[in-house]
Amino acid sequence: MEIVSQVHARNLVKLGENHPEVLVLTADLSESCETGAFRDAYRERFVTCGVSEQNMLSIAGGLAREGFIPCVHTFGVFLYRRALDQIAMSIAYPNLPVKMFGFLPGIMTPGGATHQAIEDVSVMRSLPNMTVLEVGDATETESVLELAISIRGPVYVRMLRGEIPRLFPASQPMLLDTPRVLADGTDVVVISSGICTEEALRATSALRAKGVSVGHAHVSTLKPFSPGVLAPLIAGARYGVITMENHTVVGGLGSIVAELMVEGGIHGKLVKLGLQDTFAHGASRSYLAREYRIDAMALVEEVQRLVGRPSLVEAQDLAAVRVEIALSSAKAEAM
Amino acid sequence: MLDAKERRKLKDKARELREKIVEVTFTCGGAHIGGAFSQHEILVALYYKAMRIDPKRPAWEDRDRFILSKGHGGVGHAVILGDLGYYDPVLLKDFNKTGSPFGMHLDRLKVPGVDFSTGSLGHGLALGLGAAMGARQTGKDWRTYVVMSDGECAEGSVWEAAMAAANFKATNLMAFVDRNRLSLDGPTESLMRLDPLDKKFEAFGWRTLVIDGHDLDQILDAVEISRAETERPVMVIANTIKGKGVDFMEEKTAWHYGGLDEAMRDAALASILKS
Repeated sequence: MEIVSQVHARNLVKLGENHPEVLVLTADLSESCETGAFRDAYRERFVTCGVSEQNMLSIAGGLAREGFIPCVHTFGVFLYRRALDQIAMSIAYPNLPVKMFGFLPGIMTPGGATHQAIEDVSVMRSLPNMTVLEVGDATETESVLELAISIRGPVYVRMLRGEIPRLFPASQPMLLDTPRVLADGTDVVVISSGICTEEALRATSALRAKGVSVGHAHVSTLKPFSPGVLAPLIAGARYGVITMENHTVVGGLGSIVAELMVEGGIHGKLVKLGLQDTFAHGASRSYLAREYRIDAMALVEEVQRLVGRPSLVEAQDLAAVRVEIALSSAKAEAM
Repeated sequence: MLDAKERRKLKDKARELREKIVEVTFTCGGAHIGGAFSQHEILVALYYKAMRIDPKRPAWEDRDRFILSKGHGGVGHAVILGDLGYYDPVLLKDFNKTGSPFGMHLDRLKVPGVDFSTGSLGHGLALGLGAAMGARQTGKDWRTYVVMSDGECAEGSVWEAAMAAANFKATNLMAFVDRNRLSLDGPTESLMRLDPLDKKFEAFGWRTLVIDGHDLDQILDAVEISRAETERPVMVIANTIKGKGVDFMEEKTAWHYGGLDEAMRDAALASILKS
């Protein structure tokens, strides 16, 4: 699997070339949010606000009102928790094109509850006028910036940084409100978002090898969320649907799919993998993924439970296929 | 400094607009009339003398920007915008009624001439700073004016913006605090002490002026000082009287928000005529 590094850092600089209206704002996390290269390239379009997120969001509102596209960068928690009123009233209510890049979604940081954005999707999608996006791989991280800029109103992005695996072909950029159907299946359908898709790919490949028909879709637009391709996929699942998100199950992807099912009259069992209404704590990503059951093994366990066939796939099976599965899955299912 | 004729004209305009605010408050059943009257001369001086605006072109790129950070003063702002011709003032008969574009706090997407939607306190100064930075970024010479309430200055975000505006030397930004010393729960100094407010903004890097916020000459002199300033943004602590112009409302916390029956309306109009 290809691993790409500093995707956003390069992308911002590239975007800056043709978009003089794009400004980058940060609040003392410039390098942590990969904005250093933009700062060095376009010093006059880079605004550092110190540690004052509320101020930064209202300044962004003011700049957006004057025709700029402010791209605000900080950790997700410091956007929607610290400055929610500013996001709601200085940006969403007047429907201004401020693009908010929230880094360290969910368990992506060992920083503990204070730094882990676990309810950002729930909060941000409840705001009128707001678009909510989440990237799941290098291709999406590469394309989300152009997509966010092309949307007229405010956008919140659950962003990845550093070294990011490429699951989807570089030629297939992220599109608004367009889930990626990675596999059809009639026993169980898995709908995953963000970093959970990589884990889900490992599990679905292993399960498929044991004869379970597992459908799989990756979601990168959490709002707007149209039934589109997902409704028939879900409706075709004999045993049930499993959502998998790096986020609390209250209000995130699981809730969104539940709403879609009920509103669409699609009957079936729904299992929501994610943080079960709890704050997490500081630890490695892999440790937290296991502890809070948003890893490949948790998905295997839930699929087996739904289809009534325990012990099909063991942890050692997953470990053995870890790299290869992700690689071949990407090729077989995502091309 | 205004000449005698101009001063007379502006004072008459201020009186006439106060009467209209009373009428709208009477018709709509209730409004933030106390604060609309304390901020009144600041808005009149800005809109009828100081600011570069064209009511026929509310989106004119080179207009000066105005942000009523104390969005609850919307009734006063709406009356002024209507009088200037941004819209037919007859529409104000439905102020704050269902289906009307005019809510208690003005929405920029619904009311022509409103540059920024406000209502949640503590946003306006930073919004204004953003606008001012935008002007500088594009090399434009328009200016941004912000009017805050004094109670609002208890919001931490005001001080974030204050620090930032001085840091960025936003001399194209000018702000007023409508210092009527009364917020909804009572006197600001007994709720959350603000004094010495001028010294605080001064310490944050602003050039700070303390004036009589009902004296049109003093307000316009402050605007001139702001225009000439090359190093620091200017903050005006405008000492005002809540409910100014209506004797039974002046200095009364209860008139933060209120409705008027016919007798009260007539008494208010009579009081304005005498003032």
